[in-house]
Amino acid sequence: MLQGIQDLGAAYWSFMNPMTLLYGLGGAFVGIVMGILPGLSATLCIALLTTLTIKLQANDAILVLICSYVGALYGGSRTAILLNIPGTAANAASCADGYALALQGQAGRAIGIATSGAFVSTLIGVVCLALFTPLLAEVALQFGAFEFFWLSLFGVTMSGSIVGGDALKGWLMGLLGLLVAQIGQESLYAYNRFTFDWDELAGGISLIPALVGAFGLAEVLTTLSDPIERKIADLKDSVLPRWKEIIQYKWTVFRSGIIGVLTGLMPGVGEDAGAWMSYAAAKGLSKEPEMFGKGSIDGLMAAETGDMSSIPGHIIPSLALGIPGSAPSAVLMAAMIIHGVQPGPMLMIQNPHFIYHVVAMTTLASIAILLFGLFGVRPLLQVLRVRRHILMPIVFLLCTIGAFATASRLFDVYAMLAIGIGAYLLRRRGYEMAPFVLGLVLGPLLDKSLRRGLVLSDGSLLPFFTRPIAMAFAVVTIFTILMYVPAFNKGVKRAVGAAGGAVRGLFVRRA
Amino acid sequence: MADPALTPQAAPADPHDHQESAPRADLKDAVGWLVLGIVTLVGSLRMDRLESQNINPYTVPGLLPGLLGLAMILLGAVMGLRSWQRGALTQGLPAPTADEREQRKRVLLAIALCCGYAVVLVGHGLPFWLASTLYVTASILLFQRLSRDEQERRIGTRPAVKALVIGVLSSVIIWIVFERIFLVRMP
Repeated sequence: MLQGIQDLGAAYWSFMNPMTLLYGLGGAFVGIVMGILPGLSATLCIALLTTLTIKLQANDAILVLICSYVGALYGGSRTAILLNIPGTAANAASCADGYALALQGQAGRAIGIATSGAFVSTLIGVVCLALFTPLLAEVALQFGAFEFFWLSLFGVTMSGSIVGGDALKGWLMGLLGLLVAQIGQESLYAYNRFTFDWDELAGGISLIPALVGAFGLAEVLTTLSDPIERKIADLKDSVLPRWKEIIQYKWTVFRSGIIGVLTGLMPGVGEDAGAWMSYAAAKGLSKEPEMFGKGSIDGLMAAETGDMSSIPGHIIPSLALGIPGSAPSAVLMAAMIIHGVQPGPMLMIQNPHFIYHVVAMTTLASIAILLFGLFGVRPLLQVLRVRRHILMPIVFLLCTIGAFATASRLFDVYAMLAIGIGAYLLRRRGYEMAPFVLGLVLGPLLDKSLRRGLVLSDGSLLPFFTRPIAMAFAVVTIFTILMYVPAFNKGVKRAVGAAGGAVRGLFVRRA
Repeated sequence: MADPALTPQAAPADPHDHQESAPRADLKDAVGWLVLGIVTLVGSLRMDRLESQNINPYTVPGLLPGLLGLAMILLGAVMGLRSWQRGALTQGLPAPTADEREQRKRVLLAIALCCGYAVVLVGHGLPFWLASTLYVTASILLFQRLSRDEQERRIGTRPAVKALVIGVLSSVIIWIVFERIFLVRMP
């Protein structure tokens, strides 16, 4: 315990130099700007910054990325409040109450709340990160191929069912991602799969070009295809953070912070789940539920804090298990691997100080967004005035560099183009990209775990279902899938209703 | 799944919105997924079993791709059934509106410009900043031509010069920041 605190102190101390602080602020700044611009997501921001920071030291690079991650989600809530368009999908829950407050002339107050809520909740998340990651890594050391198989499947399944409205489409995108991940030389025997004798495909489709295509080019095409420009609500009142309101709503903040971290822990569940669940919980427990959606401070606070605290929540499984909690944390993981840090259960053994560095980085990120929230909101919003047809080509420029820079291959640029155009077409037909990303990231792990597991069990499927942890993940995954079968769903609801009625009946008789 | 009672009201319509897909479109998609699943399954079954290397038969390279192909066939069939239940064979696709036609034109232009830049201009000897300048300037000017605003569509010298300046500045600044300051190689 004491060693942990000592390590944490050492990590904080190592960040107290001007260059590092500058990197952190710079990362947060870029993140906030990209978060403010609708359509540019945290995933794209981190992917582009990964290529920018490739030549930096690992700690500095990851610091920039984490600060930009936090900044992007923070910036996204600006547009949610002022334009009723979430800057990133995760900010959708802030739209309703934030925009309602803006229309009532209280845009500044809403932004102030979002700032203070974001700061406090990220700190709550950081504390959980510091406490839980080592614990989870301990547990994860007992995970074998069987557990990782179900965990990867769980991640893809959850992502497919939670993101967007249609679970079927989500799962198909997850399958597509898993399939694309199989292209190239497979890890056990170096056998070329689906390469059609193209040497360049032997390395497979790299993650960063694929992400830049799916989240960057697809977004550029979507934005450029839209002929309508949007109007922005006016920012008249003060944007200073409202500490009094934090204290007034402290239970909401605390509860949403914990909910955010817990949803972040589950692989595949994106930031928007943290925001929506906190919102729903706050609405359920609120004394004024009818205000929700019409400018409820409670609701906005819940959405913002749930959203921001899920960032550390997503980083926890990425570090401890090597399984990303969301699409942006998947890019973060890829960046860590590029810089030589191998996330996963072995991290605590090979590189134990890194976790405390991440804690320090995330703390720095929350301070950075607080500073920008205090001083930089109005100037930063000017970025929204840039016309889209000027901005989008520049974004594509960055995407091209981003796709090229990781491995200096023109093939990656072509892959980015192909995946980007495909992603655009799929988006128009209602398919979400997040499950695709998770499939792409978890594909190799799923493949290795399945085959290793079968070798260990000598072809028997029994250990996949009888080992305790594997069984737990298997049950949850299969249950989630079956919940979407209407007959099963109704049966479960009837059973739950009957059980609830029986329990209530017990209490009524007692009274 | 998002609770409908919690979704924001009065959100302006934008391309990011999820429209209820026409069942006909879903049916077409389902056929696509079925074909992809079948191709994957066939490809996996035909994959070399690597018997000559005496590997454990449970670890054939085609194992997971085959399972993925099966899953895709299954889900594709479910989607096809679902769209049939929703009336795909009775309803046709709605005719494209004027808005949609304009969107299609803009997207085709964007794709043409992006491909032109990434495939033709970049990496074939032209200096990066020059290729990027050409792309950004052309993009800005061409999209201005397609704008709905009457005034914007008239490309005089001032807008053309402005576009050129933006193109040059952005390309050069990005080139300097990436290549000189952060030492990242350009295509």
